[in-house]
Amino acid sequence: MRRYVLKRLLISIGTLFVVILLLFTLLQFMPGSPFNDEKLSADQKVVLFEKYGLDKPVVVQFYKYVVNMLQGDFGVSYTISKNTPISQLLKTRVPISLRIGGQAVLLGALIGLILGIIAAIWHGTVWDTIATIVSVIGVSVPSYVFALALAYTFGYELNWFPLLYTMKAPFQSSVLPSISLSMFTIASIARFTRSEMLEVLGSDYILLAESKGVYGPKLIVRHVLRNALIPIITVLAPLIVGLMTGSLVVEKIFSIPGIGSLLVTAIQSNDYNVVIVLSFIYSAMYIGIMLVVDILYGVIDPRIRLSKEGPND
Amino acid sequence: MINDNVLANIAFQEDDFEFKGADTTKLDTNFASQRFWKDATMRFRNNKGAMFSLVTILLVILLAIFGPIVSPYTYQQQNIKDTNLAPRIPLLENLGIFNGNETLKTSTGAKLKNGYVINKETGEKSDTYYWFGSDTLGRDIWTRTWTGTRVSLYIAVVAVLIDMLIGLSYGLVSGYFGGKVDSVLQRFAEIINSIPTLVIVTLLMLILKPGLATITLALMITGWIGMSRIARAQMLKLKEQEFVLASHTLGASSFRVIFSEILPNIIGQLITNTMFSIPSAIFTEAFLSFVGLGIPEPMCSLGSLISYAFKSFTTHPYQIVPPVIVLALLMLCFNMLADGLRDALDPKMKER
Repeated sequence: MRRYVLKRLLISIGTLFVVILLLFTLLQFMPGSPFNDEKLSADQKVVLFEKYGLDKPVVVQFYKYVVNMLQGDFGVSYTISKNTPISQLLKTRVPISLRIGGQAVLLGALIGLILGIIAAIWHGTVWDTIATIVSVIGVSVPSYVFALALAYTFGYELNWFPLLYTMKAPFQSSVLPSISLSMFTIASIARFTRSEMLEVLGSDYILLAESKGVYGPKLIVRHVLRNALIPIITVLAPLIVGLMTGSLVVEKIFSIPGIGSLLVTAIQSNDYNVVIVLSFIYSAMYIGIMLVVDILYGVIDPRIRLSKEGPND
Repeated sequence: MINDNVLANIAFQEDDFEFKGADTTKLDTNFASQRFWKDATMRFRNNKGAMFSLVTILLVILLAIFGPIVSPYTYQQQNIKDTNLAPRIPLLENLGIFNGNETLKTSTGAKLKNGYVINKETGEKSDTYYWFGSDTLGRDIWTRTWTGTRVSLYIAVVAVLIDMLIGLSYGLVSGYFGGKVDSVLQRFAEIINSIPTLVIVTLLMLILKPGLATITLALMITGWIGMSRIARAQMLKLKEQEFVLASHTLGASSFRVIFSEILPNIIGQLITNTMFSIPSAIFTEAFLSFVGLGIPEPMCSLGSLISYAFKSFTTHPYQIVPPVIVLALLMLCFNMLADGLRDALDPKMKER
């Protein structure tokens, strides 16, 4: 097990390193230098280059860049909000995005589980059909279509929730975005729970439990659900990726001041520095989540824990 | 006993019995073994959802081909006089629907407006028709929607090609040769897979111009990984089997073993997986265009149309409806088609 964790950890660190290298290389190829001002004399430029370490060899610059990135010193924004440190821009935005993402995951997991359980227990009935239809639609229709539909009906026509995000009512404003983001999670978790539960329900040990007189909620909760839920961890990683891309669009639609909409603005206004920092943050989050999911799965599933190699070998 | 006596007294005549069905061959037609593809086609035809999806997709393809041709407008033509007109369709307008009326919400209350009316007193309408309405620059939404659909369909073809050409060969080669080749190829795929697609695409857009070519390139970098994994897993499962050994013994080359011995045995799974990658590729394109990284104006795709119409979607909701419906329909149908194909080609995988 320790060897497995160590191996996953090394791969993750390696990937993160590759990402930083990629971002740094891209920065070198960006047009212009930070000191493109014609008024600067050659001597002043030398002084400035020395001050910011731009006269050093590329390797030293890269080392400094890595250290700064890991310490959270991301440099300044050029166009979105001039000369503001990016870490300051992020400070207010990250919590908002995390909150909406978190609510979406919770809501999605809860409703998805309930739908999946209903569909599996009353397998082959109307409830099953309804749950299947919901999950097919949820998987295939992009989240921004839901976002637009919700924004139009509940935000504009009925006026139940704010159409655009307001700082005054952060919770009410986050309801519609969370729901539209959670649709994909609901659908995939419902689908997965249903098929896993059906598999467990048809197994020999459930037959044994039933013949020993266990039935009803006790059978479902203690014997079926417990075994069916283990593989659900595997769907977590793709779901979180879906949330990350989904957040870009949903934050744009509801004009939420989160990191998704910041990335969109940064791309559209060519603020390279911000784009690169956000790419780094997204990659780091993604790599971190993949690592946690891999390790969790190893902890829970003894077949992986006991084998010397990882699940992917 | 009486019974014994009765039985003993019965004598059978020659014509009491006759041979039945002696001249017909006895074949169990109901459960006869069928050829794989015939069997799969039959299962697919019985799947209502999948057949519906197939028909809908064909319909969308036809509309994408002929929609812009039959329309009197082009996708980039701006008619400044005809901005923000609601949908108006000949014949249907007489029934009271699609007659160019739209209700505008103003501060004084709802107001009925018809942009086609040229003479306010007589209510006379001009003889222009915008079947799906026109946008804020006076461009025909019907033409633009179907032109945009072409982009999505092009992306679908690209996704299939990437899966088949890159993903398939990568996975098969990696699985077949194993050892060092496999571990180098797998580490490489793992690293690409650990960088979010979103980030790869964003960075590509910074270096290259936004456009169809860049989106294609982005899909080429990220789109093949899922397919290569499945192809590799299948290869690992099959390559130790006797028929492969037999082929080797008879002197077949690696190329022949991979592509004409093993490939036909796993083609069903591969087709299914390819079909599943189509909706996700279409989604990626629509998403990028929506965020502003996609097709530049005046060209359009479903995503960029939605993004554009979104700016005025509370005042003129009809502008956003056609691209949203076509996109949602395409995604839904490709997903259902893939589900149906999986059930038909690989009944064991079928969800119970």
